[in-house]
Amino acid sequence: MLLEVSSLKKGFGSGSSRLEVLKGVDLSMKKGELVALMGPSGCGKSTLLNIIGGLLKGDSGSIKINSDPPMKYGTKSPNQVIEVRRKGVGWIFQDFHLLDHITSLENVILSLELAGMSSEVAEQRAISAMERVDLSERMRFMPNELSGGQQQRVAVARAIAGSRPLLLADEPTGNLDVKAGESVIELFKQLCSDPDDPISVLMVTHDPLLASKADRMLLMRDGVTASSDIRSAWGEDAGVET
Amino acid sequence: MSMKELDDQSVMDKLSDIPSDLSTAIRSAWRGRERGLAVFAGVFLASLVITTVFAYGVGLSQSALQRGLTDEVYDAKVDFNSESDWTTRTNDSAEWSAVCDELLDREEIIDCGLVFGRQGIRLSGFFDEAFAIPQPLNAVDADGPTGNWDGVSWDYPEALENGPSINGDRILRIVDSAHFDGELADRYSDRILYGSWPESVQPGINPVILPSKIASQAEVMVNDTITYLNLTYVTDSQPSGSELTDCEGEVVTRVIDSGGYQFCSVTMTLRNLTIVGVYEEWPFTNPTLLFNPVIVGDMALSESDKTALMANDHGYLGVAIDRSLLPTSSTDDAADWLEDTKKELEGEGYGPDEEIEIRYNDLIAGSLVFFRIFLGLVQVFDYILMIPIVILSFAVLIYGLVLSLEQRKREISIHRVIGGTERGLRGMVLREMTAISIAGWLLGYIVALLSVPLILDAVGFMSFEKGDIDLNPTLGVGYTLAVFLLTVGIAYLVARARTKDFLEMEIDEGVRKVTSAKKPRTWLHVLAFLIGVFASVESYIETSGGWGPIGEDGIITGFFVDSLVALLGPFALWIGGALVLGRIGGAAPRIVLKIVGWSKFVADIRRGLRSSGSNESVDRLAVILLLTLSIVTLAAVQGYTGTLVDERTASAQVGADIQVQFEGPVSEDVARQRVESAIANLGVDAIDDIDSMTSVGSTFVAAKEGGGLVPALVLFDGHEDTLIWDEQAAPWDSYGGNTVTIGDSARDFFEIESGSVEIFLPTFTPVLTGSGFEISTTYTSANLLYIGMHEWVPGMTGAESTQAVLMGESTYRTLAGNATVDGHTSPRWFFEVCDQSNDDCKDALERLSAELVNIQGVSVASDWNSAHSEVERNGGLIFGTQGLLSLQFVVASMASVASAFVFLSLVLTQRKKELAILQAIGASPSQIIKLVLFEILAIVGMSMGLGILLGLGIAQSFNGFFDIFGFIFQIFLGSQATVDRTLVWPWMELAIVNAVVLVSVVAALLMVTRRALNSDLAVVLKGE
Repeated sequence: MLLEVSSLKKGFGSGSSRLEVLKGVDLSMKKGELVALMGPSGCGKSTLLNIIGGLLKGDSGSIKINSDPPMKYGTKSPNQVIEVRRKGVGWIFQDFHLLDHITSLENVILSLELAGMSSEVAEQRAISAMERVDLSERMRFMPNELSGGQQQRVAVARAIAGSRPLLLADEPTGNLDVKAGESVIELFKQLCSDPDDPISVLMVTHDPLLASKADRMLLMRDGVTASSDIRSAWGEDAGVET
Repeated sequence: MSMKELDDQSVMDKLSDIPSDLSTAIRSAWRGRERGLAVFAGVFLASLVITTVFAYGVGLSQSALQRGLTDEVYDAKVDFNSESDWTTRTNDSAEWSAVCDELLDREEIIDCGLVFGRQGIRLSGFFDEAFAIPQPLNAVDADGPTGNWDGVSWDYPEALENGPSINGDRILRIVDSAHFDGELADRYSDRILYGSWPESVQPGINPVILPSKIASQAEVMVNDTITYLNLTYVTDSQPSGSELTDCEGEVVTRVIDSGGYQFCSVTMTLRNLTIVGVYEEWPFTNPTLLFNPVIVGDMALSESDKTALMANDHGYLGVAIDRSLLPTSSTDDAADWLEDTKKELEGEGYGPDEEIEIRYNDLIAGSLVFFRIFLGLVQVFDYILMIPIVILSFAVLIYGLVLSLEQRKREISIHRVIGGTERGLRGMVLREMTAISIAGWLLGYIVALLSVPLILDAVGFMSFEKGDIDLNPTLGVGYTLAVFLLTVGIAYLVARARTKDFLEMEIDEGVRKVTSAKKPRTWLHVLAFLIGVFASVESYIETSGGWGPIGEDGIITGFFVDSLVALLGPFALWIGGALVLGRIGGAAPRIVLKIVGWSKFVADIRRGLRSSGSNESVDRLAVILLLTLSIVTLAAVQGYTGTLVDERTASAQVGADIQVQFEGPVSEDVARQRVESAIANLGVDAIDDIDSMTSVGSTFVAAKEGGGLVPALVLFDGHEDTLIWDEQAAPWDSYGGNTVTIGDSARDFFEIESGSVEIFLPTFTPVLTGSGFEISTTYTSANLLYIGMHEWVPGMTGAESTQAVLMGESTYRTLAGNATVDGHTSPRWFFEVCDQSNDDCKDALERLSAELVNIQGVSVASDWNSAHSEVERNGGLIFGTQGLLSLQFVVASMASVASAFVFLSLVLTQRKKELAILQAIGASPSQIIKLVLFEILAIVGMSMGLGILLGLGIAQSFNGFFDIFGFIFQIFLGSQATVDRTLVWPWMELAIVNAVVLVSVVAALLMVTRRALNSDLAVVLKGE
């Protein structure tokens, strides 16, 4: 298993107003797997993603990424899991979150340099990542000169450039049109099935159609991953397009 | 209620909503206090500065009024309305005294007494031709059993030198017993040096109070008696040319302002007077009553004497008004009040049948004419001086407002999405801004009113000393409203315009947080900057007396254009410089990165830095720092320069601890003896002996035999022990050998720039020839090394110094011979008597100079400390201008620290998301801190350096402006020595301020960055 989440709990607030969002999530992902995480609003999808991605700490439980070296965390604060963000997980946001004043390629290089890589090596790796997302011709463009889909590809390149084995995508197609969204999912599938360097993608989405293209689908309900199959999760009447 | 519905409300509904709107606005302002801090700071600064300037003007008026008023006992001279219309006047002095009682019924008049002195004045002002014709009583002769009355000079030429040409003899004033108690008695008593002002009528005693000079010359003391005192009064007058007939006395001709006049002067004798007091002579101010009379009680007059004086128009009522009723908000208000009082008093009839009409000659209003001109000049100067800090406060306000609005972009967009109208949202923002502005205005207003008395107590830059006048400057409703409108009003208008622009942008743009910024008018900024740089260079050339091929008039020689550049240049440099250099400051991270980019220390954040420093907020931070630090520099440079100029002016005027002018040339021994006698009389511990003394010799020299004569001054050996020299004055330690310096005005005679110069000393000898005596001129000469130009010589007037050749004793011995030098006498000697760093010494010097005037043969004595105090308060930079510069320094320093803090917080809050992205992609907290520190410190450091440079440029550029006003004030106040403003650069103070700014910036950085690092990354990235 690449990712193993065990009994992960997280609540917000205190006293009578405390809300337990994650009530003991257990989750695992294989290397090269594309998993869609679904569930109703407020069920804790993003919270789970944030804890796995090292942006939030859990109250209890553990997370393990079997990379080299392996990483174990879950209840550590974001400042204590920098290595997780540098070498374990790559983030892809709905708003892309690229830095406006540097080129696409430099956005990718920056993340590698922050991880301590020399400029030369970082540039080679970044170019390679840009090629993997099929943006080699536009890597000198500024972010605002690219379409939404292309910006999201740059974000993907930034996430994979550091050889991170796991990508976390929070509504990656939320700001894209259908075509661009599909192309991003296609890119995810390509990356997951890359025979040389397969990566895994955990993607939060509200779009069942998009989720249906994942290898596996997880549904969150009542603070736990309730099911790995949308019909059993939402009931037999769930209007799933096929 | 939706925003749309809100817009449709009726006026009544809106009015009834005001309390709740206000309460909501206050709550909202409090909740959003962080984003409103910059707005608050801007309004606070503007309110503080504008209120200070207005209140300072009020304080200035109060100060000037109080200082001016203390120079005269009477506030008005009330005359008979007509000297010829006997039906409406009386010669009965008792009846006139009764008029005083009627006047005292009025609230404004608190004391009144009958005076016999100067004849009635029935004119409108000093400049009326006939103002000079009414004559005073003159004291002409006296004798007594003690003292030496033959040694008294009754001439008083100083009166003609210091006022209109009316009467050049010692005057006499006879006062009635109403003067022995009440306000008039208090005012007279304040001047008494020895003895006391009479408190009541003593049977058999005819009191006389003498000016100190007369008492000194007569060698009499309190309780001595005068057997007789002759006075003259005038019975008739006519212009010269026509014969004055039926004169029972002596016909005296006087040259007065309106031409030659003949006066019939009749003598009257007062007998058996007792000296009850000696008073310190008043300064020469309002000439209406003339100056420093011998004062006698009217019990010395017989009834027939009184009638004679009355009949010849020598009687008047001396009136004291309640000075606390005088409006002090401005001299104009005071003048209006006095004019109204005069009209009311003159409009009434007095006496049992109301047959007496009076002429109210207001003495205060007369003094106000001078003050109004003078204060007008001072205020124009100070208003101009404060323009930068007012502009700065508005800049902080506007930038703060923009940043504050940008922070609300998303909130406002959301309001619009849910149906908020532009009008409704604007109202919401404006109400909150107004609540913040009012709080800022109120605090600034209160702080300003509290700080103005301190500013008026300034005796130098950042140096304050409680003055002898209590000031309580408050602002009237008009001024308060003006400050309110200029601060809250402008904030409202700016906020309204900015909010309108802001709300006009697309909703989507607001949500996405992408703005299309207006392009700045770069060409205009660069043009203003270039004009400013040019003005600065021009000022430098002019103050340096030329540069290369350019003469001392500078590049522009036309007066109008030159003045325009001198006036506008500093502002163009300041604003243009801040905007142009602000961009360099904003680009500092990239510039510094180019320099240190090779370092491994920045390898991991290099690319992160390239993305920074390019946004508008950072540029604004740089501009604000440039604006504030340049003002700090300007205030420090001009403030310290002003302080030094004041000290130099005092040194140039007095020359030593004490300068004594004798009535004629005296030798060193005589001068020493007289001053030692004064020291002995004084008997204070701080001064027990003369430490050293010297004088400056004077003669004439020529550039060649038979050539024109030029004054020459001689410095005697050891002069530096006594004279207070300054490096700007002359190379004072270099006159020992055969060296010489030449004053600016005398240089043309010698046509020399450097090298040696031959100087000729003429000796004039009368030779008997066949046709009588002829003057034979022989010359001795010396070849001297010219070592430059001297600017001033301590104790010499400006003209004496600049027109003279200055040489040492050895040179003078070579030229004039030992006998001349050894037998040197001078009417002016300088003394070193105590250590001025000791406060006791300062007080003792003032007392010694007062005591010296009473010594036989001493004409005038002045001490350095009194001169310095006078110059500090009234000299080169006037009445608290140093205080204003100190205020500017403190406010700008505080503003630079506060704005660095506030703007940094806003800038970093704006960049919270960027920092969160960096963390999400792997940046560690230390990398974030390193990146922010590097970026902001580069901006702040660069802005500081550029700010100081800009400030130095502005200080240089402003110097011409300061020089002109300083010169006007020095001349206006009769300063004899004017000193050039050579700029002083107070590096230490500037370093301290910049260090404090830097420390504040680092503290703010760490605090804000820590907060950013501790914020919930997930929430920030989600943009919730």
